Amino acid sequence: MELKIMFFTSPTCSWCPYIEGVLKHIISEASHLELEVINIADDVSKAEEFDIVAIPTIILPNNQRIIGGADEAFIREQLQFFMTMGQN
Amino acid sequence: MTISTGIEELDNMIDGGLRPGFCYAIKGTAGAGKTVLSLFITMGALKQEIPVLFISTEVDPDKLVDYVESFGMNFKPYIDKTLLVEKMSLKPAGTSLVQTDKFDLSGIIARVKKKIQDIGAKLVVFDSISAFFAEFQYEKTARSSFIDFIREITNEGCTLILTAESQVTEEYATLEEFLVDGVIKIRSELKNNQLIKRISVPKLRSAQPTHFENRFIISKEGITIFRSEQPPISLIREETTGILRLDELLGGGIPKGSVVLIEIDGETNYFPLFLTTLNHHLEEGKGVIIHSNVHMHSARIVEEFKRAEKDILPHLNEGNVVFIDKYNRSVTAVEAREMSQLMTTDDMISVTVELMEAFRKGKQSVVLYGDLTDDANILTESDFLRYFALQSFNVKERGSIAYSFLNFNAISREILARLRTTADIIIRFSRVDYNHYIECVKSSTGATFLPKIVKFNDKLPLIDIIG
Repeated sequence: MELKIMFFTSPTCSWCPYIEGVLKHIISEASHLELEVINIADDVSKAEEFDIVAIPTIILPNNQRIIGGADEAFIREQLQFFMTMGQN
Repeated sequence: MTISTGIEELDNMIDGGLRPGFCYAIKGTAGAGKTVLSLFITMGALKQEIPVLFISTEVDPDKLVDYVESFGMNFKPYIDKTLLVEKMSLKPAGTSLVQTDKFDLSGIIARVKKKIQDIGAKLVVFDSISAFFAEFQYEKTARSSFIDFIREITNEGCTLILTAESQVTEEYATLEEFLVDGVIKIRSELKNNQLIKRISVPKLRSAQPTHFENRFIISKEGITIFRSEQPPISLIREETTGILRLDELLGGGIPKGSVVLIEIDGETNYFPLFLTTLNHHLEEGKGVIIHSNVHMHSARIVEEFKRAEKDILPHLNEGNVVFIDKYNRSVTAVEAREMSQLMTTDDMISVTVELMEAFRKGKQSVVLYGDLTDDANILTESDFLRYFALQSFNVKERGSIAYSFLNFNAISREILARLRTTADIIIRFSRVDYNHYIECVKSSTGATFLPKIVKFNDKLPLIDIIG
């Protein structure tokens, strides 16, 4: 089972490239996680579908949303549940 | 091209209507009618075939469309053609949020821009930013990045209307008040066990905002605003007062045959107003009759004119100004009271009529001045009212103008009420906190105005009206 993590970015978001890198790094450690990066400048309909207001927004598989940029430790902490899921 | 709000009086208050590229905030306390007003404006725009995007942060679109029906409006025929109602909030149902303070609002900006393109919207309503910001843990960041939202939407050439909750007492202007081009403020207050709604425009860029607050009611017929200041209905070019702004505010001047009651409080010196109009009428070549008393007498008038570097003596010598002495000033005020008066009321009137006739023969129209405060106290009530009524009758019959100065604090309310009934124009000239204000509470031209600030000058004209 693959779990999808959605990451919404925009060209004006200054924290996004860093977070994208962090997310890619974390997810590469867990084979059951998949990352979908959506640039809202290219795909507004996706932003509409998921009711995106603020950027960056990360949507986790349990419908939890992380709004705003943070450091790697913070993101890792939020993703911990899904990381360990794969190990069982 | 401006967009009408669909409410004529509101259009007047915001200088003709909503301007493209402008951002307006409707501020108000809870229940004042912010959402209702924004819905009526939406309907007004739709009726002019202007596409509208309505963004609600609290209410679902279906609910909103039903809600609108309770105000006698129907959004349904417009939906998805020229009207889009969208719900946008940070936290959609069934989600949980973790927030940090490093974000911008590019998500909602992109979505709103797309919707604007979809229907070619010219008006965007955002109801309400207070509820929207409340969802953010880091509200300050949200508010500061909202600047981008306003900029991006107005740059599209759209008019943006934001509704915002205001506290009952607000000492500081909130962020949105600095950012927007216009603020429409509504509030409701409890008076005599009745909720009264009031509307004002405290801020408006590119035009002079209206300085007064109007009452309004919301009903099925729409929003009705009751103007608290009446504009002039006719332009009279016949008689001017010599105070340019006063003439403008009165719709051009004072009609012939008017009795002008100038109410002053005891602390206000009415001489600047009196002398400015007196000088103007003399320059016009009019005949002036002054019913003099201890305040308004020849020596003081000459002295005051001298101080303003104006020589009045030629007019006095030519007989353009005539004083009728009611009291002998060689006696003290107390003695004058004891002697009652040197002339009876009827004497006064007959002398005045004779003088008016004399001026008329010389083809001069007549202006009458009098300070009524002492008369009201010295004469019996019936004598005084008779005097005023007879004088008013003569003035009206001969097409003259009478200026009667009166200290409204020094006479009974009953007498004041009767004088007010007789007077054609009532001007109130009073002082509040070291500022003088002039106000017109009644006018035969239909032009009343709310208190305006008075500026005093050293030379003629001795007063100017600001605003």
